[in-house]
Amino acid sequence: MNDKQKDEIGPETVFADWMETTSAFWKSMAAMWTNATGSPEKTAPSKDDSKNRIQESWEIAFKTWKTFAAAMSGPDSMETHFKGINTLPAILMNMAKTSWEGFFELHQQWIEKAGKVGESTKAFKLESLDEDAFRMWTELYGKEFSQILNIPQIGLMRFYQERMYRFMDKYNIFQTKMAKFMHLLYLPVEKSFKVMQERLTELAEEEKLPDDSKTYYQMWIKALEGNYMTFFQSPEYTQTMHQTLDSLAEFSASKKEFLQDMLSIIPVPTQQEMDELYKEIYLLKKKVNVLEKEKANQYPKSEI
Amino acid sequence: MSQPKIPVDLILSKLAEDAEKVRIRTQKASDVLLEPLETEIATTPYEVVYEEDRVKLKHYQPVTEIQLKRPLLVVYALINRETMLDLQPGRSVVQTFLQEGIDLYMIDWGYPTRKDRYLTIDDHVNGYMDNIVNFILVKHGLDKINLMGICMGGTFSVIYSAHHPEKIKNLITTVTPTNFDTDQGLLHIWMKGIDADQITDTYGNIPGDIMNLGFLLLNPARLMLDKYVGFFENIDNKKFVENFIRMEKWIFDSPDVPGETFRQFIRDCYQKNLLIQSKMEVGGKRVDLKKITMPLLNYYGKYDHLVPPEACELLTSRVGSKDAEDVCLETGHIGIYVSSKCQKEFAPRIARWLKVRDDDKKKRGTKKETPKKKAAKKIPQKATSTLKTKKINK
Repeated sequence: MNDKQKDEIGPETVFADWMETTSAFWKSMAAMWTNATGSPEKTAPSKDDSKNRIQESWEIAFKTWKTFAAAMSGPDSMETHFKGINTLPAILMNMAKTSWEGFFELHQQWIEKAGKVGESTKAFKLESLDEDAFRMWTELYGKEFSQILNIPQIGLMRFYQERMYRFMDKYNIFQTKMAKFMHLLYLPVEKSFKVMQERLTELAEEEKLPDDSKTYYQMWIKALEGNYMTFFQSPEYTQTMHQTLDSLAEFSASKKEFLQDMLSIIPVPTQQEMDELYKEIYLLKKKVNVLEKEKANQYPKSEI
Repeated sequence: MSQPKIPVDLILSKLAEDAEKVRIRTQKASDVLLEPLETEIATTPYEVVYEEDRVKLKHYQPVTEIQLKRPLLVVYALINRETMLDLQPGRSVVQTFLQEGIDLYMIDWGYPTRKDRYLTIDDHVNGYMDNIVNFILVKHGLDKINLMGICMGGTFSVIYSAHHPEKIKNLITTVTPTNFDTDQGLLHIWMKGIDADQITDTYGNIPGDIMNLGFLLLNPARLMLDKYVGFFENIDNKKFVENFIRMEKWIFDSPDVPGETFRQFIRDCYQKNLLIQSKMEVGGKRVDLKKITMPLLNYYGKYDHLVPPEACELLTSRVGSKDAEDVCLETGHIGIYVSSKCQKEFAPRIARWLKVRDDDKKKRGTKKETPKKKAAKKIPQKATSTLKTKKINK
């Protein structure tokens, strides 16, 4: 295939041919239509205006197309037109590139965030992991992970997605609080062992070590009870307990919201709908009771 | 410093002995656990004479001639069940009352379901309770009955007596919290910071299991550990096992608490302490403790970790009654009803107190005391070590 041949079957040629074929097709269609209904030149103006209007519209549309096709088929116009077409992939590529770069940048940020995990909690020392582990994780989760789950959602499904992410977020928060709470609950046990060790050392030094295992148990359980009693009154415990309860309530509420979305697609009432119904029944019953009492007072039994 | 002498040989021989004991006990335990056990609770016969929604009114069959003109209505708490008052033969407040010739009614609050979440304190007190009292009054052709409340049921009874003093002849409150501004009990400390709105809005009704877990956490060393160590130490003792299982049956039979009732109880009582100040409103009406003018007997436990003495003992000085008495037993929250040592000091004493106050015409021979003598005094009785009373005569 030589260069000339190549030029002949270039996009301009194909487009011009297509224009010509399409025009020919629609020309023959128009002719067929005119023959079927009668040519406006040959036929006297009919009283049936509607038929003429359709015919006129058709002819106008065809003329417009012919004009457009002729103009487009001109060598200059074709060149301009195809220059535009050739630039389209470049525009699309640019758009895709921009979007991808945006996404890539976002992805990079997340990777960087993951890489920085722990940097925001530098103030804590890993040596004191026992004390700070839960605080570190809570802060880490709040600053790094929770943010991702709370990115505003868009589109038709945004409410459903938001509820699902909220459910995941609240679950993670509850797990964190629960872990801390359980850790705190273990502290008095740990302390009671230390107290026992000290007490046993004292008894050993005094040569008063009991020979009965039950006595050791009684000593330990008493120490444990005392430690719990003191510990349970501390603000640290009370605060953690309330935080755990709050996070459990928030998790339960988000779980309910998420499940209600699931339930709404099957033919069963949701809990919210049932609650509304229960409230109505409750209020109605209350009203009936009041009316009953009023009636009873108005008409004593003897009169009824 | 000389090396301390540790009796290692003694300790080891004792451990070996213990191991042998455990082996024998385990063998016996399997016999005990596999044979039929009597673990039924609340076996005293009764008849359900009134029902409204989930609420039932039990009327116990008399076992002797009725000695009181007015029946006694017992109102239990919404937490746990009234079966605790009839746990087992020989340790049953219900049976003691019946043997004393008391015509006994008791409210069974039932098991609230989701639809009960909107029920308030007003619905329980001025709704169910008032309907039940009216039912008993009509049935017996009386104008007044005797009322006894337990724990939260006591709080309800106090509110009821303030709102309807014309229907109550005598009021008995037992382990009843009315003053919530105290740091004596952990429950009071914990409840101050709790978000009642969030919990109620989330759960609807407050799950009984969550509340039970909270109660266990009040003393985990004893309630979650030592209790079961004690059980395994006595697992070969049939009577012990039966009683233990009865108690387990009762303690973990926990109905949910209607949400709106919980919300108001926490906010108005635990957090604002309105009741004892006569500032609480129920059903749009103020609960004025001065309107409690009937005789009042107020029982509480010295070692009660749920409702400490400080939460109970203010009531007698705040009511309008001229015949109000505090009785402090040296026991805990549940021990007051089920411990063997309280069996003689609790129900029989209530029966005696009621008998004296049953007839309007009878004179009770109570002398007016000077303010100085209003302080707690010990009643010369056989069981003075476990009983402390304080009579308030105004």
